[in-house]
This record gives sequence, C-alpha cells and structure tokens, in this order.
Amino acid sequence: MTKKDFKKLFDKKIVLLDGGMGTLLQKYGMPSGVCPEKWAAANPELLKKAHENYVKAGSDIIYTFTFGANPIKLADFRLSDETYEINKKLASIARETSKEVLVAGDISSCGSLLVPFGDIEFETAVNSFKEQVKGLLAGGVDLFVIETMMDIQEARAALIAVKELCDLPVIVTMTFEGERTLMGSDPVTVLVTLQSLGADAVGCNCSTGPAEMVDIIKKMKPYAKVPLIAKPNAGKPRLESGQTVFDMDAGYFSSYSRALVEAGVNGLGGCCGTTPEHIRKINEIRDNLKPVSVERKPYSVVCSNRRYIEIHPSLPFTVIGERLNPTGKKALKEAILNQDMEYIADIAREQTEAGAVMLDVNAGVPGVNEKDVLPAMVQAVTNAVSAPILLDSSDPEALEAALRIYPGRAIINSISGEKEKLEKLLPLAQKYGAMFILLPVNDEGVPESAQERINIIKDVYREARKFGFKKEDILVDGLVMTVASDKNAAIETLKVISWCNKRYKVNTTIGLSNVSFGLPAREFINMSFLLMAISNGLSTAIMNPNNENIIQFVRAGDVLTARDKNAINYIKHYSGKTKAGNEKPAFKKNEKNLYDAIIDGDKEAVPELIRQELISGTLPEDIIDNTLVPAIQKVGDLYERKVYFLPQLIRGAEALERAMAILEPEIAKDEKNIPEKAGKVVIATVKGDVHDIGKNIVAMLLKNHGFNVIDLGKDVDSKLIIDTARENNADIIALSALMTTTMSQMPRVMEMVKKEGLPCKILVGGAVLDKNYADSFGAFYASDAYSGVKLAQKLIKNKNSEA
Amino acid sequence: MKDIKVMKSLKPQFNKNLIYTRLGYRRNTTRLNQYEQTNIDYLIDLTENTLNIVAAYRIINILRIDPPYIVLEDQTCLKGKKLSKLLTGCDQALIMFATGGQKIIDLIVNLQKENRLSDAVVVDAAASEITDSALDIVMAHVAHNIRPLGQILTDMRFSPGYGDFDLSQQAELFRILDAEKFGVSLNEAFMLTPEKSVFAVAGIGRMKTGGIND
Repeated sequence: MTKKDFKKLFDKKIVLLDGGMGTLLQKYGMPSGVCPEKWAAANPELLKKAHENYVKAGSDIIYTFTFGANPIKLADFRLSDETYEINKKLASIARETSKEVLVAGDISSCGSLLVPFGDIEFETAVNSFKEQVKGLLAGGVDLFVIETMMDIQEARAALIAVKELCDLPVIVTMTFEGERTLMGSDPVTVLVTLQSLGADAVGCNCSTGPAEMVDIIKKMKPYAKVPLIAKPNAGKPRLESGQTVFDMDAGYFSSYSRALVEAGVNGLGGCCGTTPEHIRKINEIRDNLKPVSVERKPYSVVCSNRRYIEIHPSLPFTVIGERLNPTGKKALKEAILNQDMEYIADIAREQTEAGAVMLDVNAGVPGVNEKDVLPAMVQAVTNAVSAPILLDSSDPEALEAALRIYPGRAIINSISGEKEKLEKLLPLAQKYGAMFILLPVNDEGVPESAQERINIIKDVYREARKFGFKKEDILVDGLVMTVASDKNAAIETLKVISWCNKRYKVNTTIGLSNVSFGLPAREFINMSFLLMAISNGLSTAIMNPNNENIIQFVRAGDVLTARDKNAINYIKHYSGKTKAGNEKPAFKKNEKNLYDAIIDGDKEAVPELIRQELISGTLPEDIIDNTLVPAIQKVGDLYERKVYFLPQLIRGAEALERAMAILEPEIAKDEKNIPEKAGKVVIATVKGDVHDIGKNIVAMLLKNHGFNVIDLGKDVDSKLIIDTARENNADIIALSALMTTTMSQMPRVMEMVKKEGLPCKILVGGAVLDKNYADSFGAFYASDAYSGVKLAQKLIKNKNSEA
Repeated sequence: MKDIKVMKSLKPQFNKNLIYTRLGYRRNTTRLNQYEQTNIDYLIDLTENTLNIVAAYRIINILRIDPPYIVLEDQTCLKGKKLSKLLTGCDQALIMFATGGQKIIDLIVNLQKENRLSDAVVVDAAASEITDSALDIVMAHVAHNIRPLGQILTDMRFSPGYGDFDLSQQAELFRILDAEKFGVSLNEAFMLTPEKSVFAVAGIGRMKTGGIND
C-alpha cells in the first residue's frame, strides 16, 4: 500500500480497525504466562479465527498478533533467535485470513526502558525493531502499526526502524495515563513529534476507555496534518470475584464513536477487553459518521519530549536561550571538553528559570568531536529541562547524531543558501522532521541589503519545498550584523523581519547580541533593537535570558503588541509586585503597616517598617507588645481556623523572627528592659530519626512566642537531651519523631527524666504519634506545631501557678 | 541482581492538589493570595527540576500466604494483614522503590539555612508527593508489560509504615532491591537516606476472562 492510497482511504471514511486480540485469544484458551506470539504461531487456527471474527465484524485493517515479537521482548522467553520466523508466520496467518482487508504489521514496546529512563540504547532499540520489521515484511503486511508505546523515544525508534527498511504507511498510537504518556509526553507533543518524523497516522490506544480519549484527540486535532486514530479499552480492567471484568459492553462502547469522530478521529477500533462484537457495533453506525475537518493552527510547533512551543507573531514572543554556546565562555568550553554534563544541565536550568522557553545548544569547541558531544549535550539538556532545543552546528554528522536521539522536534540552526549545506542538510531535516533556521547567506557571502537577503530566502525555500517543507517549518534569521561597523545593519535586518512578517508570512529569529558587538553599554542597544524588531513582527530571538531587564521588556512588549492577550501572562507574573523582576516572586512594598506585614508573612518589608516605628519614637518593647505579639497571635488564630495553612503560618513566624532580630539588640541596650522569657525548652528529634523539618518549625514558633529554645538538632542521643535539660534548668523537653521505629525513644527519655528527678515536662509530636501513645508514658501530645506552642504556654502557666 | 529493573530520570505526573493538602490546605477555607499561589507553584516547579528520581522494581514469586504472613520465593517473609489481603489471589509480588536523590535534600537543608523554612516546607512536601508518584510509573509500566501475558496488577500498593505493615519490613525490601546500589542507606531505625525514598509492594495475579462476550 502506498502512503497516497493510505491517505485516500482515511479521507473518504471512518476507517474501522480491529479490537483486542490478547483478551480474545485468552478466551479461546491461551494460558497466562506463556509467550503469546509463540502460542499463537503454534495455534494458527485459533489465531485465524480471531482475525476472521474481526473481518466479519467490519474491520478495514487488522493487526498482526505480533505485539511483543521483538527480539528484546522475546528474550524473556529465550526466543530472540526466532524473531524473523515468528513475525513472518504470524503476518502470513493474518494475510491469509482475508484478501479484502489490509494487514498492519503490529509493533509494540520492547518491555524495557530506553535511555535515559533505562539501559536500552536508542540504536539497540532501532535494530531490534528492524529485526521484527523484516519478518513482518516477509509475511506480506500492507502497512505498519506501532502501538501502546509509553515512551515517545521508543515510538521514534520503531518508526525510524520501519522508515529505514520500507516505504509503507505507518500508524503510531501511544498510550496515555491521564493527560500524558507514562514518560510525560502530552498529546500535542506526541502528535508533533511523530507526524514530523513521518508517521502517516497518529493517535492513542489502550490504558483508558473511549471517554478519556475524546479529550486526547481534541487536543491533537488542531495540530494534526495526518489522520487521527483511537483504539480505547472497554473501560478499565478490574478483578471481580476472581474474574477480570471490563466495564463496557459493546453497545455502550460504540456509543462513544460519535464523540470520538466529532473530536477528530479518522480511524476507530478497540484495545483490551474489546471483542468483535464491539467492532461490529461501531460498524453498524459508521455510515453515519463522517470525518470532521478542523481548522489547523497556523503556528510553527516544536517540542521536547515533555513540552511543545508554538511560534507565531501573534503569540507571546519566544525567548531562545543562547548560554549553551561556548563562544567566548571559558567555563562552558571546559565543561564541554571534560564532558561535564551536570554543568551543561545547570546552565539549561538557569536559562529556563530566567525565562527562556527554548535553548540553543552548540558543542563547537576546537578539539571536540561534535558528533559525540552534541548528542550528549542534547541528552543532558533534555533530562534537565522541558524546553525544546535548537541544534546549533554546521557539521552534518553531528546534527544527524543529535537529531536521531532527540525525543521531540528540534530546530536545526541553521541551513543557508550555500549549495553544499543545502544539499546535505535539507534531506537530514526532512528525515527527522526538524524545523530549521533559514540563514540568508549563500556561496557569495553575507548580503548587506535586505533585498539580497530576501532573494536568498526565496531561493532556499524553493529548494526546501521539494523536500516537503512548508513555511511553518522555517524560521528566517534576519541576520543581525553589528551597527558598530555598518550603520545600516540594524535597519536592513528590520526590513527583512518586516517583509517576512507582512508579505512572506514566515516566522523569524535573530541572534540579538550581535547588533551591539564592539560598542560600550551594549544592553541599551540590544534592548532598543529587540523592541524595534518585535514591533516589526519578530517571532523569536536567540538571546541571554539571564538579563533580567531584557526579559522584562519582552513581557511588556508582548502586552503592547497584543501578543499577551488581556495581559494575562504579565499580570500573572507581576501581580503583587511594584518592581518587575524575574527572580522568585517578591511582595509588593506598599503602604503596609508592621502588623499586616507579620500577618502577611512579608519579611522583606519588616526591617523598613521597624525602622519607621523606631524613628517615630515607639519604644522597642512597645512595638513587641502592641504590634508583634497581637500580629503573631492573629496568625495563629488564622492557622487554627484553617484560613491559613502551614506555609503561611511559618511565613508569619519568619517575619516576626526578622523583627525580633532587629529589636532584641535595641532592647538589650538597657538591661532592665529585657523581657522575661516565657520558659526554657530543650528541643530535639530523637535518636535514629533524621527528619527534622517539623521540629524546626516548632522551634521557630516557640522562639516567636518568647521561649528560650535550645535546639539540639536531629538524631540526638537521649543522654545529651537529659544533660542539656539539667544543665540549663529546662522547663520543657520537646521531642519529635516521624517513624514508629524511632518514637520508642521518647519513653526512654521520660524514664531518664524521672530517674534524674528533673522538674521538666515532656512535650511530644510527630506524624505517627497520637495522644494515647503520649499518655502511655506521661508525656504531653501536640498534634501540630502551633498546638505545640499553645501546649507549652499552658504547661508553663500551670507550673507558675503551682509555684 | 539481574532481575532488578531500574528506571532513571523519571518525571512523574503528580497531583498538585495533594501537595497543598499535605501542607494543610483546606478547599473553601484556606485563603491564598496571588503572590502566595505563585510562590508555591514556583517552589513546586523548583522541586520538580531538582529531583533526580530513580526507581527500581523486582517481580518475585509468592510461595504462600498465611495471613498475616506472605512468604516469597526467596524465603523472604513479609508480614501485614492488609498486605496479605491485597496479595491474596496473586502469584507474584511487585517490590518497588523510588528515591528523589540527594540534591533535593541539599536544597531543603540550604533553604532552612537561608532562613527560608516556609519555602523548605513546601519543597519537602512537594518532593514527597512527586517521589511517591514515581511508583505510579513503575506500576503502570509493569501493568502494561504483564497484560499481554494474561496477568493483572493490583490497583493498590502498600508501603512499610502504614497500617500493620511495619516499618521494620523496609529492611527486607531494601535487601530484595539491593537499594544500596542506588545510593540509598537504611539506618538502625529503618529510616531511609536520602529522606525522599519510598518502598512499596503490589501484587500480580492471573487474568481470568469471563466478563466479555464473544
């Protein structure tokens, strides 16, 4: 079958696939625990019966029963050597079933995880799938189906294996757990990656029922250039009285067909738990179902394995991080030379946290074999962040090595009009479905005028179209030269950007910092030029995202050019701040008073507010008594009423702590003003217990409430606790334990307290404790940090009244 | 050991609401302003980017179940009434673990040193939730692998320390998965270091079809 015939088939009708084979064959007697494919090959009549039932039910395409017949999976049954024969035989059985239906050679997961999730190298997987493909081809399949894939990288490996051995159409369906695949790919990322790589149809199968698949298909449809497929389970399998039951009978299952088709499905079938009856029911109604067409989004779309990015002049500006290019960066050069991939990963993280949504990756260091290092850098970046990448290299071998293992859709940076590069790189971009940056340079050099650049852009695009590229697959580089050597350089670039945006309708990019090369105060030039370019419709820029000012201008520019609709992103980012910044969100410093600052947990505002109080003549002890104490009591009250939750309680405590750090030295200037402490507490996490964050919270809150706290830390020996309590004449020993195995230390401490005759009370808390346990050895139990403080206050009050 | 399967660089899907719940958030009661929400979401993202989750699992035959005891093929004896109930009808046990690595612990410690305890608490809760979610990946992966063989995985898993599945059993699971190889250690109180590490057990049974019609 040709790809053209395949497309025609899906254009004219809803294509009916088959249903579950495994559960059907189990019903026909296939025992559990055996190699299903080997069993089927030994029971051809039963397999044929299963296929025939689907043909009778109305399937247009049936799948060979070769789901796990790849050498890696067959190795579990020591059958790797029989890969070719098993696949050939099972494909032949399907082929013999009927000449009226199409037979798809079925490929699925090798059962082991590929790098980076597991140990199977990408090429090992490709070669394994190739063994299977050869057998299926020999068995006479019409097309291929790659199904039930959980990792996009494994789906890519299988797809590349098929593409490198034949030109038959390929359907690829992945399995989604909720909104993503198991390894974290969303539906659009799956679609974009696979259709770019050459899948002829994409979709989902297994794991979920039809209702959940409606949402997945809806997400894919606006980006789909290929038919979409859905093969749901008959609900989720569950054990009921020792029987495995699938919830959906055939009638109910088929009732979702219309919703799936309206969502955008072109091919329907079933997976686990579905039977020929389920397929027959769909067939009964499919004449009433017509494929829908949905207007495709006009955006360029690239993706990593976990995130897709849309590029268009009407969408928020795309910042591409430039910091993984070693030119002029000594530390990065050394990291590349030493293959220090953790350093590379850190730079990637730093850029995305600063606001880059894509990253340029360049391994061009003299003496480095780019073919080895570029893929390693790509792997490190992909593991660290979800931002899609640009492969910045002119070495075709390095680019191919990186494109091959990149588990998404990358951008090649760049392809120019130079004949040799064009000839080598366009087929590469086509094979791996990459976008590319079109660099308007040719064998005659770098043209100065916009018109000359435009001519090259047209020439390169003409060539690219021969390989199937459309304008949405290209970013045109406006080609920024420094204004220090050519006063018209920026103007010519802006003309190119404007023409691309208004006339040619293609996305654009620039290498921003080039414009200011050789000039002082480069940031002003860069910022001004960026805003001018954005106003001319620039889509993306390769730039330094760590420059906070530029990123802020980008956000503001998006609002002013209506690319940030209703300023949603801007408001989300800057709400609550008066001064823009891309650091961790900060509170606005408005007319807030000290009381509110404590309640809001705004510790940054506290020093200035305290200073103002002191300047106005308020005594430090009055600030504490009249403002801070009521404020922290209010925080506690809000926490007790659950209006506040734990982070807010602690933020309040942190704000108070900062205030006290300023006031205490002031008070200490006059000894008679030093307030009496509420009580003395020795606090520790017990021996063997290494969790101390809960204990730290209690310690902070106790200090907040005027206690003198001696914090011994975590995993503390009981003797040290007792010795410290005795030496400091403690009122309370506060103990924390998280685990059942460590809480037994608490009664021991109590025994030692009694033995020593110490007058202190024991306060205990921790996730596994309860009041009964505390009562059992005479301790006082606090269910959470704040109730611990209140209990401590009560214990001190009782002690004082007893005295 | 050869039959221990390892999964690295995992990025689990997780329910952000459960992180808020761990921190005491009550829907319709707790009030959060835009700043607080943004800050917590930022910290959750930071946690996700800092975690380096490695998981491992092993499928091991169950020799017999005499509640509350479960005897595995290698003579390991696990104990727990609820665990016995979960595994009843299962031929095999899926022993699994996940660790978030040392870097996330360093982050939590450093935040506390910087007097950012409120941020540390959020990261701590997020790290626990996300690491635990990695076991969902393990279970889904195993479920997909065994289904074609006519086997089915229990929906639930139990971790030591919950109910009567005593924390001390962590030592058995630690040994079965040779967890030391993954940079994890167990102290005398059966606590794991790095802290954000979790073990669990689920069961694998045979699929008996009967709920479908031909």
